[in-house]
Formats: sequence, C-alpha cells, structure tokens
Amino acid sequence: MQRLRGVRPVKLTTNERWDLVDAIAERTVTVGTYRQTIGDILGELTVKPATGIPVAVAVLYAFWSIFGSFAGTLVTDGFMVRLFDDHWLPWLQAAWPGPDSLLYYLAVGDPLAETCFEAFGMLTSGLFVAIGVVLPAVLIFYLMMTLLEDSGYLPRLAVLMDTVLHRIGLHGYAIIPAILGLGCNVPAVTATRILETRKQRFMMMTLLAIFIPCGAQLGVMRDVIPDLVGPVMLYLICGFGIFGFVLDRIIPGENPEILIDVPPYHWPAWENVARKLWTRTKGFLKEAVPFVLFGVLLVNLLYLAGVIGALADLFEPLFVTWFGVPKETVGPLIAAFLRKDLAVAQLSTIAMTPYQMITSVVLISIYFPCVATFVMMLREGWKQMLAAVGVLFAVVFVYGGLIHAAGILMGVA
Amino acid sequence: MARSSLSTLYVGLLGLATLASGLADILVWAGAGPGVTFGILEIAGGDFFRWGWGGAVMVFGGLFMLSGLTHSGSLQQSAKVLLGAIMVGIIAGTDLFALFCESVPAGEGAPEFFNTASGFLGGIAPPYSPAILLLPCILGILYLIGRGEPDDA
Amino acid sequence: MNEPIDTGTTVLMVGNPNVGKSALFNRLTGANAVVSNYPGTTVDYTEGTLIEAHRTCTIIDVPGTYSLTPRDAAEEVAVRLLGEYPGAVVLLVLDATRIERGLYLALEVIERGVPCIIALNMTDAAHDKHISVDAAEMERVLGIPVIETTAISGEGVKQLAGMIRNAKAADISAISGRLNGDGAAEEMVALRSGCSGCGVCGR
Repeated sequence: MQRLRGVRPVKLTTNERWDLVDAIAERTVTVGTYRQTIGDILGELTVKPATGIPVAVAVLYAFWSIFGSFAGTLVTDGFMVRLFDDHWLPWLQAAWPGPDSLLYYLAVGDPLAETCFEAFGMLTSGLFVAIGVVLPAVLIFYLMMTLLEDSGYLPRLAVLMDTVLHRIGLHGYAIIPAILGLGCNVPAVTATRILETRKQRFMMMTLLAIFIPCGAQLGVMRDVIPDLVGPVMLYLICGFGIFGFVLDRIIPGENPEILIDVPPYHWPAWENVARKLWTRTKGFLKEAVPFVLFGVLLVNLLYLAGVIGALADLFEPLFVTWFGVPKETVGPLIAAFLRKDLAVAQLSTIAMTPYQMITSVVLISIYFPCVATFVMMLREGWKQMLAAVGVLFAVVFVYGGLIHAAGILMGVA
Repeated sequence: MARSSLSTLYVGLLGLATLASGLADILVWAGAGPGVTFGILEIAGGDFFRWGWGGAVMVFGGLFMLSGLTHSGSLQQSAKVLLGAIMVGIIAGTDLFALFCESVPAGEGAPEFFNTASGFLGGIAPPYSPAILLLPCILGILYLIGRGEPDDA
Repeated sequence: MNEPIDTGTTVLMVGNPNVGKSALFNRLTGANAVVSNYPGTTVDYTEGTLIEAHRTCTIIDVPGTYSLTPRDAAEEVAVRLLGEYPGAVVLLVLDATRIERGLYLALEVIERGVPCIIALNMTDAAHDKHISVDAAEMERVLGIPVIETTAISGEGVKQLAGMIRNAKAADISAISGRLNGDGAAEEMVALRSGCSGCGVCGR
C-alpha cells in the first residue's frame, strides 16, 4: 500500500453534496423501463395491513407448526425421550457406583426416577434438557429465523407492526430484537442498537429481558406443558404491552419516527443460511450446555446445604399468598437465574394446578434474565442494567399479583 | 392469468372450496365435536392451534383467491390469487410435515427407534386434512399464473 | 509458501445499511459475519484479515449508515471508527440499485480526504431491474477506482481485493471540474499513475 499525498479535507453543505450526487448519477446511471413483476406486487401485499396481517398470521402459524413438529414430535418425543429414558437413565443408574453417595446425587440424582426430568442429576436432567430438548428447538428456530431474515420478510413485519409498537413508544424495528429474543436474548440485546434513542433502547432491553421467552425455554415448555403454552404466551404478550405502555409514560426521552427501508424479497442463499445456522447453533452449544450442567450442580448443592429450603420458608408468604403458587417453586426460581429452560423443566415435576403452573412459568419467564443475557446487558451500560433490574423486580411483583388476581376472578386459582 | 372464463371459474371454485374448508375447520373446533371424517377427508378439531388458527389462515386464503377474481388478468389480481394459494400451501405443507414427523419414529412403547416401513406408510396414509386435499388444485393455480406471466425480456 | 507480509493497512468497509457489506466482507476475509436481508444486521463492527497477493491487511465491517451525522447507536459506531482509523483506506460499498444515497455517503467520506475505493455491489439486482451503472465513467468522474461486484455470488470480489491497494484520495473540486468537462485528461493520468500493472482493470 503506497501512501498518497493527503488531499485537503473539504466540507460541502448538504445541498451542494446532493447537487454533486445528482450530477454524478446523471452521468453514470441509466434506468431502463422496468415492468413490475408479480414478486413486487406480492411484496406490497405483505406490507398493506388488509392483506399483510393475514399473511403474518399464516407465517407465524407455519413457524410454530414446524417448530412443534420438528423439535417436539420428531426429535424430542420421537427419539430423545426414548434414548434418554429407556437407555441412558437405566444404564447410568445401574453403572454409577454407590446410590447413596454425594457424587451419585449430583451426577445421576434420584436412583428410582423413571424419566430424565425427574432424576435431576447433572448427567441425567442436565444433559437431557440441553441436548434432548433445547438443541433441536434452537436448531429449527434458527433455521426458520434465518429464512425469514434472508428472504426479506422481517422488515415487512416491522412495517406492519409499526403502528402497534408506536403506541408503546417503540417503532416497527423493535420487532427484530423481539423475534431474535425468541431464539436467544443474548444477540437480541445487541440488536437493540438499531433503535434510535437511549430511551427506546432501554425500554426494549428491559422488555426483552422480562417478557420474551427464549427458544430454549419455548422448547422445554412445548415438551413439558404443551397445553399451557398458549395461555403463558398470552400473558407474556399482554405484559409486554402493558409494561411497555407504562414504561413509555414514565421514562423521559424521545420516540422519533424512522423511515423503514424495505429491501426486495429474494431467495435465501443456501450457503449463507447454512453458515448462519452453524454459527448460531455453535454459539448455543458453547454457552448453554455448560450453563445447564452447572445450573443443575448448583441447585443440587444448594438443596443439600439447605439454602433452598430456608429461602422457600422465607419467601413462603409472598409466594403462597401473593402469587398463589406452592413454595417449592423457589428452587426453580433460583435455577432460572442460570438457565430458564432448566427451571421450567424443574417446575414440571412439582405438583400444581394448571393455573398455578401457568403463573409460575410466567413468573420464571419474567424473572431475572439468564446469566448470559445479564452479562450482555452489563456490556451495554451498568446504569441501564441496574435500572432494568429495578423495573424487573417491580414487574415480577406487580404482574405476579395481577395474574393471581385474574385467576381468582376467573375462579381457577 | 385467468384470461379465459374457464380459469376464472377454476379459481372461483377453488377459492370457495378453500373458504368452506377453513370455515369447517373452525366450526368443528369451536363445536368441540368428535371431528369429521368423510372418505379421505378428516377434520379432527380439538386443537385450537391447528383448527382454530390454521382454519383462519385457510379462510383468509380463500378470501384472497376470491378477491382476485374481478378484473382478472391484471398483475395485481393475479398476485392476490397467488397469495391465497400460498396460504393454502402453507397449511398443507405444515400438515404434511407434521404427518411425516409423527410417522418416522416408532410408536409409543415400542423398543425400536425408527418406525417399520409399513408403520410409516400407515402413518402417512389418508385421511387427510382439507388443505392437503386442495394442494394438487393449488398447483394448478401456480401453472395458470406461470402461463399468464409473460417471459421477462 | 512464506508467511504473508502484513502491510499494516486497515480497510474500513463503509456504506448504507443493507447494501451487502457483510456479505462482501465474508467473501473478502472468509469470516463469518452475520448476513441478513434487512438493514441494520451489523450493529457492531467485525474485523477480519484479507490476504491478497501475499500481503495481508485488516478489514473492518462497519455498521451501515446513511450519513456521517449519526442517528442511532449503530451509526455512532460507524462514525467513531472513521475517527479512530484516520489513515485507513475506506472501501465504499454502494448498492447499484439505489446509487444516489450511497453516493451521498461516499462524498461525505471523500470530503475527509482519505484514500477510497468503491465497490459497486448488487450489480445482479440492478441488471434485473434494468438499471445500468457505468462504472468506468464513475471511476473517471470521481477519480477513485470503481469495481463492480455481486457479493452474494462472489463476482468481482477477487478483482476488488486486488484493487484495494490502488485506493486514492479524491479532490472534490476536481470532481466538480470533471463533471463540468474540464481538466479531465490531466486527472486521468494522475489516477492511473499508481497502477501496479495488474491488468485487471483492462486499460
């Protein structure tokens, strides 16, 4: 690289610059007659509300249906449950020496357990949740997410959602971190940077950490409480709306309009899809698997040390009277700090009414973000992170009570 | 597309059939009845996601096809018909995928992992949902639209 | 093969959102920057290494921006990077289908007097839309190398890599002059004097 003699910097005004742009473009660009194709019209139809909203309904349907068929029916129920419950668990229970030892308790868990959810050892529940339930969910989620991204549908969804999201002080683009967050909150926190003002970024980050369940959690929910996923999601979406509205009112700052640039549709490039899928899944394996195993270990150690029992007694009034859930849910709430998927799996083994289950799963979702998300939020600024945590506690307290109250009113709690 | 009255008739009938099966999906689900089986056609009902939500998608698909009928021939209208066809295609595709996912692993309680060949074929055999049955006709629409669109110069 | 020589050059890839900077970056460096079909995918910068003709340089994929007056956090990153690497070569990525707004940003960068090179990307999409951009004429007018690329399929990328070392700082008044038709011939000579005779430019 040869160094050039510096050219004097100049500063043009905006108008001068545009004049120059026009002159250059006139010299170099020729635009032929362009006939609209059916693809262009389809593109328009997916943004106009009258046709766009039904299309969004259909796309979400396809997303969730394929997610359920692949991750739930085919991989987890079809193969993984069988592999882990019929082969891995009995073998491990028989092969690991000393069912009364501490190591057995930590690694294998309950010697009499019949499923990997109940055993709760590092190598039983830990591995099953990470590999058997969450990995297929994350894989299929990211595949479909990537297709939506690369085809160009996401920005159209952003245009459609713009009106709704403006009511809560965000704009259409907030849908991108929100959807990314359904996969994993970690990249979603970074993606909040496409929002313009500090206020919007803070709001989005907080709402993301609180109300968007990640792919791992969705996968576990889909597996252990398939009938309750609908109500849980409904509560989360309502919460997103309500608290978005409230935060918009109490946080000072601007909500500027932005112009959304809608790129043309094109077929996703195979190579790029494969590459992205691999990068993201690898990221999951590196982050999630150690956390799940470590989470099981920590929770087991805390149980052994009597810490969880003590905490459960301490928080009993709050949990039983205010939230209306059994005090045993304190344990999962602690595990939730490490991995929310793990916490949901743990909840499924506690005896509860369906409504209590809905309440506690919603609470787990809105409670602390997992450690990895926490670190990402810290990276965006510790003051914002502290504020987000403050909001979080307020929301858990208020919303938990609200859900309980709603249950009492409906006569199901 | 749809320059001739014959293709208009075809799209119209298909739109009506789609609309009707979408409404039937929703009705069976809302009535929470035992489900309807008619020859190779089955509406199981029961599950809100597939029959309530999926039925709504079918209804929209049918409406799009019908709304694309007037002034047939313009690209705008063909696009609506195509969009309707795609919506039905989405439901049919996810239904087929679900059938496939259910039929590959062996049944509950079986010691093997993979289903036997006959078990697999039994799993993907009829009866089918209305969307799957409409799928071949939908492909006809794609043909009509492909024919109607002049080659890109 | 000996170790490639590190030239110590930094190349900043600058352009509007969603013009294919990340795709081009992956092509140039073999890295794994996330590429999507919506503006604003890259919110943080990614660094990679380009090895070309046995020499290496560092390439930074800068988040997309419409101008150097930042409006959001991702655009702030872009402006900050330009300030942090005052000696860097700027690879301006322009979307051939939406050339004007790309040129606006390009001029803002050119005004800073830094060495630039232009990748005219998405030429395939421009062809589909019956838009043709005269790269040779643009090169003559601006006085900096302009290379046509299609990052998604990799066309023109090798040529672009070879031309990075021919990046030039351009003079705005000379550009205006050439647009008005004077002094063109003299500037032509100046532009190509640094050519190492790689032959790819075909002149």
